[in-house]
Amino acid sequence: MQALACDHSPRPHINPHSITSTKAVSPARTPSTPTTTIQVDTRVSNTLAMSQSLRPYLQAVRSSLTAALCLSNFASQTAERHNVPEVESRTSPEALLTPLTIARNENERVLIEPSINSVRISIKIKQADEIESILVHKFTRFLNQRAESFFILRRKPIKGYDISFLLTHVHTEEMLKHKLVDFIIEFMEEVDKEISEMKLFLNARARFVAESFLTPKRWFSALRWGFGRERNELFPRFINGSIIDHHIT
Amino acid sequence: MSIIQQHSEASLGDGWRRIDIDRLIEDSSVNFDTSTLHPPLPETSDAEVLQINSQVRQLLRGGDSEGALRGCLEMPVYNGSDSAKDSHLHTVIEVLQSIKASDMTPMLQRIYNTPGGPECLDVLMKYLYKGMASTSSSSPEGSNSAPRTPTRVTPQQTGFSQVGSRPGQANESTGGAMSVLLSWHEKVTDVAGLGCIGRVMTDWRRV
Amino acid sequence: MAAPEVHHLFHHPIADHSFSADRKTLAVARDTTVELYSRVGNAFKLKDELKGHDKTVTSVDIAPNSGRIVTCSQDRNALVWEPSPQGYKPTLVLLRINRAATFVRWSPSETKFAVGSGDRVIAVCYFEEENDWWVSKHLKKPIRSTITTVSWHPNSVLLAAGSTDAHARVFSAFIKGVDARPDPSVWGERLPFNTVCGEYMNNSAGWVHSVAFSPSGDAVAFAAHDSSITVVYPSGPDQPPKAIISVNTQLLPFMSLIWNGEAEIIAAGYDCEAFRFKGDSNGWQLSGTLEAAKSRPGLGGGDREESALNMFKQMDLKGKVKDDTQLKTIHQNTISTIRPYEESGSGVTKFSSSGVDGRVVIWHT
Repeated sequence: MQALACDHSPRPHINPHSITSTKAVSPARTPSTPTTTIQVDTRVSNTLAMSQSLRPYLQAVRSSLTAALCLSNFASQTAERHNVPEVESRTSPEALLTPLTIARNENERVLIEPSINSVRISIKIKQADEIESILVHKFTRFLNQRAESFFILRRKPIKGYDISFLLTHVHTEEMLKHKLVDFIIEFMEEVDKEISEMKLFLNARARFVAESFLTPKRWFSALRWGFGRERNELFPRFINGSIIDHHIT
Repeated sequence: MSIIQQHSEASLGDGWRRIDIDRLIEDSSVNFDTSTLHPPLPETSDAEVLQINSQVRQLLRGGDSEGALRGCLEMPVYNGSDSAKDSHLHTVIEVLQSIKASDMTPMLQRIYNTPGGPECLDVLMKYLYKGMASTSSSSPEGSNSAPRTPTRVTPQQTGFSQVGSRPGQANESTGGAMSVLLSWHEKVTDVAGLGCIGRVMTDWRRV
Repeated sequence: MAAPEVHHLFHHPIADHSFSADRKTLAVARDTTVELYSRVGNAFKLKDELKGHDKTVTSVDIAPNSGRIVTCSQDRNALVWEPSPQGYKPTLVLLRINRAATFVRWSPSETKFAVGSGDRVIAVCYFEEENDWWVSKHLKKPIRSTITTVSWHPNSVLLAAGSTDAHARVFSAFIKGVDARPDPSVWGERLPFNTVCGEYMNNSAGWVHSVAFSPSGDAVAFAAHDSSITVVYPSGPDQPPKAIISVNTQLLPFMSLIWNGEAEIIAAGYDCEAFRFKGDSNGWQLSGTLEAAKSRPGLGGGDREESALNMFKQMDLKGKVKDDTQLKTIHQNTISTIRPYEESGSGVTKFSSSGVDGRVVIWHT
């Protein structure tokens, strides 16, 4: 697997994390392993490099979650006749366990806060630029507003994370534990896919809009409809263009 | 002459509504003494940590990476200053980074099958999680205690100059360090099982 | 090894189960009621429901000789159900606790029972003839958190208890007028009420889920949330124990354990199957699972064929090898209780387990 790392030409569409991850392994290596260099088609090596970093990440989340989801029915020690998630009420320090963080890089990490009858899982979704963070914000807000029909979703993510789940012993009793874990894992990869898809969509749309506005004929009609004011910000290229000056002033 | 006039400003405000009365009762469950959850921990001073670290590095330079790994896992810093804990973490991560991927599993299996080996792997797991937690975040964490300063896996300027000056290390991104920790995590889970992760959570001796 | 006998009662967690001495009646704690099943041929049929609690019933125990049933619940109460020709008649026990009651067991003498609670006390209850009710005395010190489990010594005086403060303790629950003075043992000679005969903890802590005295009563074992079982061999009163042996396993934590003779322990929990440990005061080790490969239902139709692409996709993206909804174990969720079912002179020949999946299974050891 390591040998694949040697083969990365600077292609524009490479996932930045895949590069860093593969590079990281190589400098630490003692210079004794150039014997088994395999030449692989770059396309294959890229996907492999991506999954090489994604797979251990999801695997770590999976095993940590499986270990954390050992919940039992535990009645509150502070409130009479109540049974509350200890990880939220935090009234019994001994019922809380050490929180675990699993990180793929600074921008992608998962925090698992286990307790005797509940586990809180918080996910920080990858946000490489501002558009992505806006999309993530909108997306998680959409989900949070529908938290009721989404049994395990917490209404508000905890600070520093984009989305939080709260699993209680009721969930592990009613649902299969490994399926709950599967769901979280699936959510993690789907959300990444969703965000990058939305971003592509947004870019395509922006390009389309720009193209249609920058076609001179359409531009005239747009001006007639009163698009004049923000033209400088939107299309700085046209500031010195004759068409605009001519028509507005 | 109503009673209300005798009240002070403080009692008229609604601040008293927010007082957590459970916390004021000495034997309430909120005030559980968590120090009863671990055996007494001897304190490790910064000097001792430095000494352990330099011994470990010596072993590492001598090519005995297994000895180095065992060395730093047998002496975890449970009770020490933050700087001592951090520098020990750096040493552990350095040792981990220097071990080849193909050597990981056999080495872990050898360690696991020796007396005291399973405990070593429990400690290793603790350091893996700590490594991921401390390098991952520079944004404010959910914890309400004093904010932890983000530490980098790459050796800091504070010490160990001869190792820190290795070229290429300084600008190595955290994503790379993470993937080393993640692959170790996978290997340790394979060898020591989910019980090992469970013990990281239950254990109050924290690194 | 004969195949285990599986009874799938319902789709709801079974907090605890108990068989009567003749093994014809099975009591299971389901939500706020206790359901009594009786054996009809090879199956168990619902016969009666004991309704008296208004919160989750946490534990149930049938006294083997008198047939009395004791139940306790998160509504802070314990009830003793007296069998009568008209059905079971409940009596409320004066527990004097104001948090959930978590666990209850009759003493072997059946004159007392112990109720663990979230109020950080164990109520040791006995019948007071002159007032005609069940009263309790509290074991309080040095418990610091919810009691999760209790277990009686064969002499009905000593009581082992596990708690979420990560300690397993051995107390004296001697009650004057009810108990005869016990013979001196490794745990002590004079044992007034609330004597702490031992207090044990693992280095890696973890809530104690289950405790049990060995058949002789000279050793105690406990299972904790750090996936370990620990066996303690005391040497005498006020002396450090002869041996404390902890086995840290690679598995998920165990919820329940029983002794099978002096040299074997069976434990089960979050892995949904039972495991066997073997050893003595020189050391213990995990010797394997009790589930025979052929008894596993998941393998009946053979492994599902999957396309290579799909398999690699699963492995690659989700970090898992195979898609499956059914576990390969008989229990499909956490096993919460295991109990001896049939005993012979040398040990347990059959034991029963119940779990979150609503199954009661009878196993051969």
